[in-house]
Amino acid sequence: MVNNINKDFYNTILAQAFSPCGNYLVTGDIYGNLAIFNVSKVLTPDVNFSKEELTPKIKITVKADYQINSLVTTPNHLLVGGFGEIYAYTWKSIKGSSRSIHVAWSIEIPNGHEELNKAEVNALIYDEDNGNLIAGCGDNNIYILNIESRNVLKVLSGHSDYIHCLTKNGSDLLSSGEDGVVNIWDLRTNKAHNKIEPFKYKEIERPDLGKWIGAVHCNEDYILCGGGPRLSLFHYRFLAQSTIFPFEDKGIHVAQIHDDKVLAGGRCKLFYQASLNGNVISEIPISGPTAYSMVKQVDPYKIMCIAGSSPKIDISTNFIYKDQQLCLYF
Amino acid sequence: MVKENSNAVKKKRKANTTEADAETDIYKKACDFEENESQNRNSSEDAELFFQICQEIHDFLDQVRELKQSSGDTSQKLSCLTDIVVKICVIKKLNRLDKLAHVLGREALNTEKQKCDSIKLTYQNLVYELHHLVTETNKCLSFKSEDEDIELVSFEDFMKNAPEAVSKKFIDFDPNDSEQDHALRLARLEWELTQRKNLAEECKALEEKKKKVVEEITERKERLNDLLPLLTTVIKATKPLQEHLGMSSELTRKEHKLAPLLSDPLYVLYANIVAYKSVFETNINVSILGDKDDATQFNEAQEVSHSNNLNEEDSEPESDLPEVEEVVEVKKRRHRKSVQQVDPVEEKKKKLLEVHPLTVQLSLSITDGPSLVIIFSYYTKLKTITVKSQVDMPSNFTSDTAREILSGHNILSELLDNDTGMESPNPSTAYQLKKLGLGSFQTLVPDIGYAYGWAQSICGIDFLTPKRYCDKLSQQSVETILKITKKRLNTRTHLAKQMQQLEKNILSEIPEELQIPTTAISSLNKWSSTTYQDFCLAEYTQHLLDENLVSQSDLFYSAKISRDEATLNLYIVIRNTYPIPAPIVALCLDYKGKYTSTNCDEIRDLERTINIDWNYGIRSSSWLLSAQITHLCSYLDVYLETLDSNVFQPNAKFIRSVSGRNKKRPFKFRKIGTGLFTQY
Repeated sequence: MVNNINKDFYNTILAQAFSPCGNYLVTGDIYGNLAIFNVSKVLTPDVNFSKEELTPKIKITVKADYQINSLVTTPNHLLVGGFGEIYAYTWKSIKGSSRSIHVAWSIEIPNGHEELNKAEVNALIYDEDNGNLIAGCGDNNIYILNIESRNVLKVLSGHSDYIHCLTKNGSDLLSSGEDGVVNIWDLRTNKAHNKIEPFKYKEIERPDLGKWIGAVHCNEDYILCGGGPRLSLFHYRFLAQSTIFPFEDKGIHVAQIHDDKVLAGGRCKLFYQASLNGNVISEIPISGPTAYSMVKQVDPYKIMCIAGSSPKIDISTNFIYKDQQLCLYF
Repeated sequence: MVKENSNAVKKKRKANTTEADAETDIYKKACDFEENESQNRNSSEDAELFFQICQEIHDFLDQVRELKQSSGDTSQKLSCLTDIVVKICVIKKLNRLDKLAHVLGREALNTEKQKCDSIKLTYQNLVYELHHLVTETNKCLSFKSEDEDIELVSFEDFMKNAPEAVSKKFIDFDPNDSEQDHALRLARLEWELTQRKNLAEECKALEEKKKKVVEEITERKERLNDLLPLLTTVIKATKPLQEHLGMSSELTRKEHKLAPLLSDPLYVLYANIVAYKSVFETNINVSILGDKDDATQFNEAQEVSHSNNLNEEDSEPESDLPEVEEVVEVKKRRHRKSVQQVDPVEEKKKKLLEVHPLTVQLSLSITDGPSLVIIFSYYTKLKTITVKSQVDMPSNFTSDTAREILSGHNILSELLDNDTGMESPNPSTAYQLKKLGLGSFQTLVPDIGYAYGWAQSICGIDFLTPKRYCDKLSQQSVETILKITKKRLNTRTHLAKQMQQLEKNILSEIPEELQIPTTAISSLNKWSSTTYQDFCLAEYTQHLLDENLVSQSDLFYSAKISRDEATLNLYIVIRNTYPIPAPIVALCLDYKGKYTSTNCDEIRDLERTINIDWNYGIRSSSWLLSAQITHLCSYLDVYLETLDSNVFQPNAKFIRSVSGRNKKRPFKFRKIGTGLFTQY
């Protein structure tokens, strides 16, 4: 029996998030669908474990054929960064047994009311300290929104092309964009007080891939960033370039510092874990050509999910090798 | 005694000297004499004599010494010395004699040696001759004549048939007598020759006769051919009369006469299609093929065997099982004596694949397009209808791929879901084949035709109900099947038209309502058909194979789209049920490396937009493939222009070249103004 081609065969997952309880994994794909997986059942399989558990429990269409660019979890809501709009779903409704799940509320990105010129919400951060939402958008701006009032509090503009990634460190916000710049903003003054331009460093530039920075992350001492340029570490204080990671990639889309280790992936057959001085610790082969999203949690289950341009999601429970594979369709 | 001898010698010598005076050549005589003497003397005696004389000389010398010491008588001393001289003379003589004897002995030896040599030579000659003779005899022994290869009339026949004069000699033939054996052989050969000559003559005569007969036949044929136009004119002439009398046309009447001879299922089919035709359509034709006499004979034979079967039917259930076992046993035996028993299997196969001599031919045609001829035959033992099809193409389809698309057997494949005709719809067929060890039904398909499920249903065969050929079932399905078949023929024609144009690198026209980019710079520059095997071997089709999206019965094509230095290689898979689902395309971009959907997101996205969301239904058959290729050309432009705008002059209009975290390219066309490419 020959299958008919499934739309999901060519699906790409750009964003993932765990529910606050840690039992569910939500993914957002380019067709505008959310897929909810029950991770607890996959990780603690009982006797009647069937293949169906590896496919989504529910699918929600947010806005058909408009890709979901980012997802973020707040204690009560799942926030979905779409095209020109941020949608919110309550976790209650997602976890519930109801078949039809509706958007609880939504916020429109103020810029660009023209249909063709709306901005993607490429990066979302939830600021637990003050309950604010930070959104990095396709119109080159970063918006700081209040969840309760759903108003735009501030607009940070300084990039000359769209935002790829955001990360927060105390009162500092780091943003990276297609223009190749990593800006370091002070949230108290709403000004960029420093910036790094990795494409200007000879050792890490890759002109054939472009200057865009696809991922940025930091801890107290280091800033990790990469994209068109190679993945590399910068000292936080001196902004001096330090380690260059020897990955065989064609562009970085995911990079995080975790327990003094670096987790990174992108257009590459492997997802890397490396020490801060550049030694590769583990390589996980991924399903698609590119990894766009990686989420991990330690409690209640230690799990890392890597997704990208494939309908399959690779799961690792020890961050070292692949244990299981979820799939968007049966 | 020795002294005497020596005295004798002296005497002889004296005699000699006296004679020498008389004769002139005394020296020669002396020589002759000495030679004779030396021959006659005993050499060992001579030796003794020699030693004796030596001793005497010795003694005399002693005497001389004593005399010298005693300084005695000198005369005595002198006589002694003379004696010594005499003795020395004797020694000399002895020496000469010895030398002569020596020379003589040597001469004798030489003559003996020569004799020996000559004997050896003759001996060697003899040996050589022997050798030569042996090889000659070997040659004779190994001699072979061509006559040994000639197949002769056997000895008994020869004795029986040959004239007595020849065979009489061999009545008491002794096979051990080689001479007689040879004579017999000669006689047989001669007899063979005469006989063969006779036969050749006979052959010649017969051939001539045959020639004559052939000539006669051609002559008669010509006469018959001349008869045909005459007959047709007669028929033509009678037509007005027939019409006047209200008789139906001769042809259909003939056919209708044949119809009752059809096998039951085909009769149902024939009747229903004729009925359908009379009500609905004029561009289908149905006719019966086959010989009337064959059919009547076959039917009679069937009836006889059927009545036999009826008689045996009571005992059948019991005998059924053991029979199977027997077959198994026979098979085992067959393994051992396989060579001898091949024939029965063939015969059984022939019997099983017994086909009714009458077949129904159905032809469908579309105006200005190809016409499809379907021939239905009924396999009486398999109780299955099989179908063979053929397409008559109008002359305007010239390209290979277009012809292939229409002429391929798979034009009728998968008319209904999964109905490939490769498996017998009759569940018992598999057991029948197994019983005879004939392998799978698929291997038979090329010989007997495709056993499509729909073919059974339009003939009213339903394997689950007891064997009554259900007219109702046939009635129900004839209409739908004919409609589907017609649709299929239509879509195939559309596809063929597109192929024909694609092969010339032209894209067919696409209806205006579809938003389609028109300003592509990239162009198709190769289109050819390929095979499943080639498709599987291509590196960039693995993901489609893994997902089981492709089957062997699909149609496969390869193509190339290029712009400047960039080439996009593609494989296209078209299902038999085209346009649903839409053709599937696999891509590989060759520009600064090879990019496929497994190593490049953009190519994957391109593949996605080309392969997905073509839900235009059956009406898209005339343009779907071209539309896909047109889109692909434009999107390739977009991709190349966003990838490397220095090399590829921007021509397509887009708002943003990339957007989103996945750096999405604007692979969506909107007809705004002259056309705009967007991400959403």
